[in-house]
Amino acid sequence: MISPYLTSITPDSFSGLIFGFEGIKNTMVLLNGPTGCKFYHSATVDNQTLRQMEFDPLNYPELWYFGQPRVPCTYLDKRDYVYGSKDKLTEAIRFIESNMNFDLMVIVNSPGAALIGDDIRDIAMDEIQSTPVLTVETPGYSRDIWDGYSAACCQILRELLPAGPRPANTGTRKKVNILGMSIFHKYYQGDCQELTRLLGLCGIDVSCILCCECTFEEIRNMKNADLNIVVDSVYGLEAARLLEEEYQMPYIVCPGFPVGFAAAESLICQVCSRFDLDPAAFVTESEKSRARAYIYLSRLNSLTGLPKGAKFAVHGTCSQCYGYASFFICYFGMTADSISVLDLPKDNSRPSPHYEALCRLLEETSMEDSLKKDILSTDAELVFADGNIIAKLKARHLDFSGIEISMPTLGYTDVIPKTHLGLSGGLMLCEQIINGLMFR
Amino acid sequence: MKEIAIYGKGGIGKSTLSANISAALSMYGKKILQIGCDPKHDSTRLLMSGKRITTVLDYIKCSSPLDYKASDILFHGFNQIGCIEAGGPKPGVGCAGRGIITAFELLDKFHIKDNYDIVLYDVLGDVVCGGFAVPIRREYADTIFLVTSGEYMSIYAANNILRGIQNYDGDKCRVAGILYNCRNVKHEDQRIHAFASAVNLPIFAKIPRDDTFARAEKKNSTVTELDNNSTLSRVFSRIAEKILAEPILYPACPLTDEELEDVILNEKTGTPSVSVSAAAVQAVSETDTDRSPVSQPQYDSGYLSKNVLRDEPLHGCAFNGAMTMSIHLQDVVILAHSPKSCTYLSYQSISSSGRRRLFERGTLLPSSLSPNIISTDMSEDDMVFGGMEKLTDTVKAILKQTPKPRAIVIISSCPAGIIGDDIDMAKALAKPDIPVITVKTDGNLSGDYLQGMLMCYTELAKQIIDLDVPPASDTVNIVFEKVVAKNTESNFEIIRGYLDKMGIRVNCRFLCNTYYDALKGFCSASLNLLAYKDYTGKILKDFFTKEYGSVFYEDPFPVGFMETVNWLRGIGKFFKKEEAAEKIISAGRDDYEKRIAAVKKILKGKKLMVITYNHQLDWILRTALDAGMEIAKLCILNFSQDEGFSSRLPEIADVPLEEDYDRQKRIGDIQYYRPDILLSNYESSAGCENCIADTIPMCPDIGFFSGLILAERWAGLFNMNLEGAWKNDQSLFNKYYPR
Repeated sequence: MISPYLTSITPDSFSGLIFGFEGIKNTMVLLNGPTGCKFYHSATVDNQTLRQMEFDPLNYPELWYFGQPRVPCTYLDKRDYVYGSKDKLTEAIRFIESNMNFDLMVIVNSPGAALIGDDIRDIAMDEIQSTPVLTVETPGYSRDIWDGYSAACCQILRELLPAGPRPANTGTRKKVNILGMSIFHKYYQGDCQELTRLLGLCGIDVSCILCCECTFEEIRNMKNADLNIVVDSVYGLEAARLLEEEYQMPYIVCPGFPVGFAAAESLICQVCSRFDLDPAAFVTESEKSRARAYIYLSRLNSLTGLPKGAKFAVHGTCSQCYGYASFFICYFGMTADSISVLDLPKDNSRPSPHYEALCRLLEETSMEDSLKKDILSTDAELVFADGNIIAKLKARHLDFSGIEISMPTLGYTDVIPKTHLGLSGGLMLCEQIINGLMFR
Repeated sequence: MKEIAIYGKGGIGKSTLSANISAALSMYGKKILQIGCDPKHDSTRLLMSGKRITTVLDYIKCSSPLDYKASDILFHGFNQIGCIEAGGPKPGVGCAGRGIITAFELLDKFHIKDNYDIVLYDVLGDVVCGGFAVPIRREYADTIFLVTSGEYMSIYAANNILRGIQNYDGDKCRVAGILYNCRNVKHEDQRIHAFASAVNLPIFAKIPRDDTFARAEKKNSTVTELDNNSTLSRVFSRIAEKILAEPILYPACPLTDEELEDVILNEKTGTPSVSVSAAAVQAVSETDTDRSPVSQPQYDSGYLSKNVLRDEPLHGCAFNGAMTMSIHLQDVVILAHSPKSCTYLSYQSISSSGRRRLFERGTLLPSSLSPNIISTDMSEDDMVFGGMEKLTDTVKAILKQTPKPRAIVIISSCPAGIIGDDIDMAKALAKPDIPVITVKTDGNLSGDYLQGMLMCYTELAKQIIDLDVPPASDTVNIVFEKVVAKNTESNFEIIRGYLDKMGIRVNCRFLCNTYYDALKGFCSASLNLLAYKDYTGKILKDFFTKEYGSVFYEDPFPVGFMETVNWLRGIGKFFKKEEAAEKIISAGRDDYEKRIAAVKKILKGKKLMVITYNHQLDWILRTALDAGMEIAKLCILNFSQDEGFSSRLPEIADVPLEEDYDRQKRIGDIQYYRPDILLSNYESSAGCENCIADTIPMCPDIGFFSGLILAERWAGLFNMNLEGAWKNDQSLFNKYYPR
């Protein structure tokens, strides 16, 4: 068998748009396109955000659901590419409006449908007057998934936030919005719970986690928050900038995905400092977490000398790579064998601050060669990646422990929400690393 | 057969010229077909005495492929000239370019052109997108004319068309020259001569501005039909003569916009003019004339999926179907000509079963986990400017990589199809040891997922299988294993176990975890075994039987006890290995009988109702009957991949059977028939309070015990009478997880 030619084939902005809009509860995302573009998206959002009681195709009509609970579509075929999609789109909207309950409808053109040039906004507005409708004419071709997600967030903010200046927060507790989390983030439920918990320890409420199982109402109240926190910059920075520009809302950007104790401490203390709040309750919690991790790591270390020096590999966005790598290097003393960055700086463009921070971290620890090493050539003991990369490495009969950090998954169903963020995430990773290392 | 494309700016009169040229050519006794490729569909009006004819696209829109007849879109006008209008959408909606491509695909399937000496394409003004360039693709027009007047925009359009031709041809010669349609504008002769000289083309003919056109138009006729001896008729007659005399053809050498402005507006001359060929006009004798009406072409439907054939909503897309199958040639590279999203969606559907299998059971399925897929990652720029350059560059890059793939298989997505990229052109890049194979699915433009599978199966077979391989004794091919089913490999191992015991070897698994050379040597096996005999299985059997004379064993892989007994006996008989087959059967029978006796104690008299997409149920019904159960009702749902429920069991002749089952009837039927067990593909508790609901696999395990294993499960469920208290918590979910 010859070598695989691609390191990873990732979803693009088309999927980013759908996942972004599907991240709003009780939203109807209607795909104007063929069923071939629907099945994956419907299956993925249903899997990530279970909302229907049963999976019986008989409950979801052939037209327009094709046996799946989410993301109905107009099942375009070759005739529609010639004559336009108006008839089917109109029929679908009428059916959905008469039979389904939703607060917001979003119509997204598939890559093929976008080439027809139908005025889908006009078609939708003719049919729906009482419910807000958003339309996306061009889903983008081969652009990154976070571009699509980010575009969805920005469109929602532009079209749904009520006009007028930002009201002052008159309540006793400070409020923040969290940006840059999506339902496509593997552990989004646990991530959201953890960030909310840690901020809550300091008396800070989370107002809205944009497009990540938020409600229509939470979005409309976003302006009431005091601060926006961008957790994953490629997904959330554009929305933060828009809110700053339009409503003078300040924001902070995590230097990387907030993975590990130090990153959590830095984030929470930074937020508390801005609000002049005492982080003592959080600090105590953090100390407890560190203490619990310590005893297990100490036992591992006594028996094996690990985790110091254990080789790891990470595959993800720059923000993810920086977040995970800094935790593994600085806290566990592990060494980077391959750091595989999905959003490398493009030719002739200035590297992102995250990329620069990652390079600095690796240079300071003499691990800069890990940036040049193909993830599929790694001989690391621990590989942190999506299920596809882990499976590809397994198919090569390599001896390692694969720990999933992003979608798609190998297949494990998480009933208990888990997280790699914050203090709970630090402990979770500690657990996975201890169990993933070979006791020599 | 000669194929001529006549291009020019909209409104320049090319439809009038085309009709008149067709009429003139027909006067020389040639069978002429004129195809109008303008959405306004008036190209053939003068040939049809003013009658508007049904366009191909209107026909496709309103007809099912099953009803396609050439006579519905092919009409005959003046002098038996065949007339077709491609048609198109209303202005401002849809994609007219895509319409041209769709129309041409249908014409190809009818083989309409086969009955004519000359085909003349009358094409919309400018090469506005890939769709309108279809007639100048090499497989269509071999001779191209540009119609222009002396107006700048008309010449500008002609120059643009030359650019389009150059994109396809490079320096190949297909342009016969300029048809100069006079408008009597200022300095018109000068401009046309300057342009012709600058682009190195002859002025093939000058058509004067003449009232005869208006008079003919008024009579809804060509000038030839109006008065064959008029001056204007003689002009067209001369054009026809020159066309028949095989004019010299030239390469397309377009000017840049700046050069064009210099030449036309600033009246600078270009390179020296080319003189029109002086080839003698050959008179066409009357004896060449054949006025017999053309025979009606037959529609060549190819191999169509059920969705496409029945004109049903398409399930999935052909691109994905072809991608999923093609990766099973493990030593080739699959190049998806698509945006990243299309490749990703296919990659997910390919890898998901492999990932899950790895996670659940630690099994490694290399084709699924590590498919050799690469994508051209078509961008917005490619949608506007065409994606062929990117495709070509990617193929060249793959050819340079090491280790070298055994072949490159290119599969096209719908954006590629809509913009008119012709992936077949990449075949020219093949190396002697690395063929380039194409599967032109164009996303869902060719049909659903199943259609893509069929296209992949048939195209790979046609482009790879070698007919001249020596036969190998005691070998079989396995055809149509379901590659996304969880039990594909375990089922294969069961079959291979049976075959091994009979001394029979597997030659090629078509297409499942195999290699290029195994497929190439497909014809060496003496017998072919169908894994599934559903709609697709039957089509593949037909395909191999017709195209390669392949011999198939009648029954598919056996599911259930009796089926396995019969299958083993049949295979044993074919290869004269009866004794070995009987040994396998004997061991299976002893086990089956013991186990069925045990479940019968519990299941006897129980009522079974089935609601399923499965169209073959004998394996489970036989077991149920053996266990003494009663079959209450069989409800067969419409399934995109199969049709026609069938059974060989005389015992179920009186059982109520309902095909195309309506889901609304479920609860009523459960109340009426009161089954003890309700079997369906997805378990639902709705209406099933007093019975056990269980699932039936879409792709059951094969062998003696397929049905028995399920029956043992039911017996266990009855014995334990367990339901699970979790089912009572639905209200809690609603309370704590508002949606």
